[in-house]
Amino acid sequence: MGIPNYPVHIEDPQLQGFYEGLAAGELRLTVDPETGQFVWYPPEVVPGKPDTVLEWRKVAPEGSAYTFTTVVRSLLPGDHKDEVPFTVVLFESDDAPGCRVPGVLVSAEGFEPACGMRLRFKAVEVGDHFIAGFEPV
Amino acid sequence: MQGNKVAITGIGETPMLRKGAKPLMHMMAQASLAAIADAGLKPAEIDGYIGNRMTPGSDDLGNAIGMKDRAFSAVCDVAGGTASAGQALILAQLAIEAGLATHVLVPYGIQSTKPGGVYGFHAREPLKATFEMPVGFFGQPTYFASMANRYAHDHGMTEEELASVAITYRAWAVLNPEAQRREPMGLEEYRQSPMISTPLRVADCCLTTDAACAYIVSAVDRAKDMPHPVVQLSGVGIGTNNFPHGVLFTQNPCTYNYPGEASAKKAYAMAGVAPKDLDLAQVYDGFSISALVQTEMLGLCERGEGARFYHQGHAKPGGRMPINTSGGHLSGGYVPGINLLIEGVRQLRGGLGARQVPDARICGVAGLGGNSHSTAILTRS
Repeated sequence: MGIPNYPVHIEDPQLQGFYEGLAAGELRLTVDPETGQFVWYPPEVVPGKPDTVLEWRKVAPEGSAYTFTTVVRSLLPGDHKDEVPFTVVLFESDDAPGCRVPGVLVSAEGFEPACGMRLRFKAVEVGDHFIAGFEPV
Repeated sequence: MQGNKVAITGIGETPMLRKGAKPLMHMMAQASLAAIADAGLKPAEIDGYIGNRMTPGSDDLGNAIGMKDRAFSAVCDVAGGTASAGQALILAQLAIEAGLATHVLVPYGIQSTKPGGVYGFHAREPLKATFEMPVGFFGQPTYFASMANRYAHDHGMTEEELASVAITYRAWAVLNPEAQRREPMGLEEYRQSPMISTPLRVADCCLTTDAACAYIVSAVDRAKDMPHPVVQLSGVGIGTNNFPHGVLFTQNPCTYNYPGEASAKKAYAMAGVAPKDLDLAQVYDGFSISALVQTEMLGLCERGEGARFYHQGHAKPGGRMPINTSGGHLSGGYVPGINLLIEGVRQLRGGLGARQVPDARICGVAGLGGNSHSTAILTRS
């Protein structure tokens, strides 16, 4: 299996917290500081509360796959033929059901990807940045 | 809004091409003039224009086709098939009933081969660029493939059942001389189609098309004196959800739960008909998986039974509920939503030869676009 290598492009500085978490080996999601509730993905405007600034919170690395797909032909801009196939999962931390983090299935030899499979977060270094990886438990 | 007040009185299309030589404006002008001529009208008689946020507006196209008084113009706010096969019909009826326009032109076109391609729209979304592109979760086939795997987990779906959607639409395309892909396709040929993102192959994805389409909406009372049998808009409904584009494919609690049941409920109520009354349907098939789910949402089979419905042959030529009789977007051509609506009009007018659905009187048309969905019920009076 391959691994995607595509540059991280962040327009909104508020979104940087996700990658700061990955570099620290943590999976972080955004919460509304007033309610403590997860708001994910972090929207440009929190619904009904345009002045709210979300905060990043570390979540449990254990969780499960909502769904997955194995990318055989990468549709990313540029030439990525050497990076396929890879399997992308939409991961839900046990701390934040329903908040899905896309990431790459890693260390999964012998495992068939499946919805509901138990996974554990693992930051994966790709070139000059980290991406979210998830390995079967 | 009441049904059976307006009719689709003219239709026009350019050829569905893998790669066309003409710019978008040219194709849209060609399709518009064809629709106007089909309605027995002259360009100067068109006084309403419903545009689309993705294509040239009446400022430019109106001049190109010879419109005189652009008394009413508006732009659809929703995406894809919801715009061209749903919202445009609502806006046209409103304009006509308010006395603001007499004959409303709805043009739409696509140049899939333009630089940036069909995925450029997604690459410009900041949340996708931040969270999804670096892990390769990118492009419509990948999004919909992830939905297909979840659907299979929730309801069960074999490879053969999924394949039957594309095979069904190809069977219709074989009967349509204007379809973009006409070579017969069975399970063996389907399996030779390259995999993009599991389980979706190229054959599960809409075609890449350069083409334009247009139609004319007029009051039913006027349509009776126009060249073709009257095809009325009996019902139309829009459904929406509150998952914006940036989160739609990941954070919707059920990612394949398009707002199709809501749109269908409104359209059926307005038309005073039920799913069992339809003689055929055109269902927005950006992907095989999304088409089979919408087939369920229109009430043409039970929820969770869409894949088996297709596998049992109900939507094929000769089946009890013909679907996507031009070949759909998978095999006929992809001008989001509008060429499906036009096929519905053609079927209700009659005379389509081998692909004509016998005694077709009522056609449902489903359009999907991002977080919105439309259902329209067309009836031959």
